[in-house]
Amino acid sequence: MIASVSGASRKGEPRIPVEDRLFSLVLALLATEAGLLKSEILSSVRGYAERYDPAGQNANLERQFERDKDDIRELGIPLETVESPDRPGDNQALRYRIPKGQYDLPDAVRFTPDELTLLGLAAEVWREASLSADSQRALTKLRSLGIEPREPVIGYAPRLRVRDAAFEPLRQALDRRQTVRFHYFKPGEGAARERTVDPLAVVLHEARWHLHGFDHGVKAPRTFLLSRIIGPVEAVPGMTFDPPPADIQDRILAELDELRLGNVADLAVRAGSDAEVRLGKRAVLRDEDAGVIRLHYTDAAIFADELSAYGPEVRVIAPVELRDAVRDRLAAVAGAHRDRGGA
Amino acid sequence: MARRPTPLKAPDKLVFLLSFVPYLLEQRVVDVSEAAKHFGMSEEQIRDAVRLIATSGLPGSTGTYQPNDLFDIDWDSFEEDDVIVIVHHVAIDDAPRLSAREAAALIAGLQYLSALPENAGSASLASLMGKLTAGASAAPSRLAVAETEADESLTPIREAVAEGRQIEFDYLNARGEAGRRRADPLRIISQDADWYLQAYCHTREDVRNFRVDRMSDLLLTEEPIGDHSQVDVPDTLFQGSDTDLDVIVDVSPTALPLLADYLADSRSREVDGRLRVTLRLAHVHGLKRLVAGLPGLVTVVAPAEARAAVAEWAEGGLAGYDDATGQDR
Repeated sequence: MIASVSGASRKGEPRIPVEDRLFSLVLALLATEAGLLKSEILSSVRGYAERYDPAGQNANLERQFERDKDDIRELGIPLETVESPDRPGDNQALRYRIPKGQYDLPDAVRFTPDELTLLGLAAEVWREASLSADSQRALTKLRSLGIEPREPVIGYAPRLRVRDAAFEPLRQALDRRQTVRFHYFKPGEGAARERTVDPLAVVLHEARWHLHGFDHGVKAPRTFLLSRIIGPVEAVPGMTFDPPPADIQDRILAELDELRLGNVADLAVRAGSDAEVRLGKRAVLRDEDAGVIRLHYTDAAIFADELSAYGPEVRVIAPVELRDAVRDRLAAVAGAHRDRGGA
Repeated sequence: MARRPTPLKAPDKLVFLLSFVPYLLEQRVVDVSEAAKHFGMSEEQIRDAVRLIATSGLPGSTGTYQPNDLFDIDWDSFEEDDVIVIVHHVAIDDAPRLSAREAAALIAGLQYLSALPENAGSASLASLMGKLTAGASAAPSRLAVAETEADESLTPIREAVAEGRQIEFDYLNARGEAGRRRADPLRIISQDADWYLQAYCHTREDVRNFRVDRMSDLLLTEEPIGDHSQVDVPDTLFQGSDTDLDVIVDVSPTALPLLADYLADSRSREVDGRLRVTLRLAHVHGLKRLVAGLPGLVTVVAPAEARAAVAEWAEGGLAGYDDATGQDR
C-alpha cells in the first residue's frame, strides 16, 4: 500500500491555510481560458496537490473542492462550469474557470472619496451579523481601488437592527430563489396557517420588515409581515423559481405607500403629552383647538399596538375598526394587570 | 467608524487577498503602515498577507509552481524598509466585483441614510446605488429600505453638531416632565426609525440622550459648545443606573427579541408556555408604555407597584372609550 504510506508521511507537513488554498484556486481558475479539469485542479493547485493521491480515491479532496467552489461563488466570484462538447453529461470531463471579464470590477465603476465615505457610513448601519459582514466585504473590495475616503462622517451613528428571526433565512432564500414554507399568523384568524411562498423581495417599510412573494396556496402574490411569521422558515427541497423583475422591491414599497395613504385615522391627543408631541410630528392635518390630529397608517393592527402604548394620552375618533382595535388592546392589558379583588 | 483589526474568517481573508493585490499594483510602492491603515488591519496581518502573496501563483503548464508563474516582491525593500513593491504578478490586476448580497447590503444601508437631511432626495445617493448595481456580479438581492421623511428638527441639529454650536429646545422627557433645555450637541444616533441626539445637557450637567421626536421649538445659538473631549459618549442608547427598576415579566417567546434592550440578564425560565425574565428600566413610565405597546405579549408579574402602574395606564386609556359613541368631550 504505497499510497497510504506516502499519505502518512505527509501528515507531518504543515497544513496549508484555507485562505491560501482558496487564493491559489482563484488564481488558477482566472488564469485558464479553456478551464481546468477537476483532476488537474486537485493534482496541481496548492492546498489540494499536497494531499492528492494519484493512485487512489480522492473523495475527501473532492468534497473539499465542492465546498470551496460554493464558498467562492458566495463571494460573488463568477466560477463557471463548462461541459465538454465531446462528452456532455460526463462529470469527469467538466472544466472550471473564472472568466476575467466577469470577475473584474467594470472600469466605469469608480468612486470619489466622498462616495466612499458615504459607503462607509452605509456599512455601519447594519448591526445584524450577516448584513454587516456582507457590507464589510464590499468595502474591502472597494478599498482595492486605492481611494482614501474623506475623514469619517463625524457626529453620526445610524443603526438599523433586524429583530425578526425570519429575516436571515428569507434573505438566503431570496438569493437562491428557493421556495420556502412557514407558518403565518394573520390578525383576525384564530391560528397560524402554513404558507408556501416564492420569496421575491424583502423590504423595510414604516420600521417593519415585509416579505413579498408568490403564495402557492392562493396562486397570487402576497405581502407578509416578518413579525407575524411563527417558527422556522424552511426551504422546500427542489423548488426554485425564476428571477423576479429587478425593480420589484421598489414597486412593493410604492404599493405599501399607497396602502398607507389610503388609511386615515383621526386621533384626539392630550395637550402637553408625549402623544401630542410625537404623533403630532407625523400629522398630515391638525386642529389645535380641538386637539385632534389626522395621520396615515399602513396596518391597523400594528398602528393599534403603537397607539395602545400611549394609554390615556390618545383616543381614536375614527375609523371604527382602529378604535375597536385600540380599545380591545387596552382592555387586554388592563385585564392582565388588574389584581383580583373584584371577583 | 471604528475599524478595529479583527481576526478574519477564511472567505474574508480571501476577499482581502484578492483586493490587496490590485491595491498594491495600483500604488506600486506602499508602506506596510499605510496599507494597514487603508484596509483597517494590523501591520502584522498585512505582512502575513504579503508573504502569502509573494509565494503564491499558478501551477503552470507542468502542474508545478515555477518561479515565473509566481508573484514576486522586492524582498529587500520589504524586509529592510517595511515597504511593499510587487515586481511580478500573475492572474489578477483588477478589483473584484461585489456579490449580489454585498451590493444589496450597501444599497439598503444607503437607502436608510436617505433619512439624513443632507441626503434627502439626493441625486448623488441614487447615482451611487447605480454604481453598486453595475459593480455587482449578479443583480443585487431584492432588498430595500423605504425612504423616510426626516424629522424636521434633524436639519438644525445636524448643523449644530457639524459646526459645534449650542442649541436650545423644549423637551418632554419619558416621565412626562416638560422644560426648556440648553445643550452641547455631540452626536446623532439612530436606532431603526428612532433618532436621538447625544448631547451635554447644561441643565443636568451630564451627557444625555434626547429623542429627536420629543424635541420642539429648537433654536440654534451662536454659542460654541464646550470641550467634551474628556467625556465618554456612550456607544449605546441604554445605560444602566443605580436607580433602575427591576421588573419581572412573562413574555411570549416570539416577543422576546423586542425586549432585548431591557433585559437585566440572560436568565429566563418557562412558565405556562411563556418566558419569565427580568427587565431593567429607568422608571415605571417607560415600563407602562412598553407593556401597553405589546398588548397580550407581555405581562408584568412583580413588583405590585409596576403591575398597578400598567393597569392604571391601560384603564386610563380605556376610560376614553366609555361612551360608546365617543362623544365624551
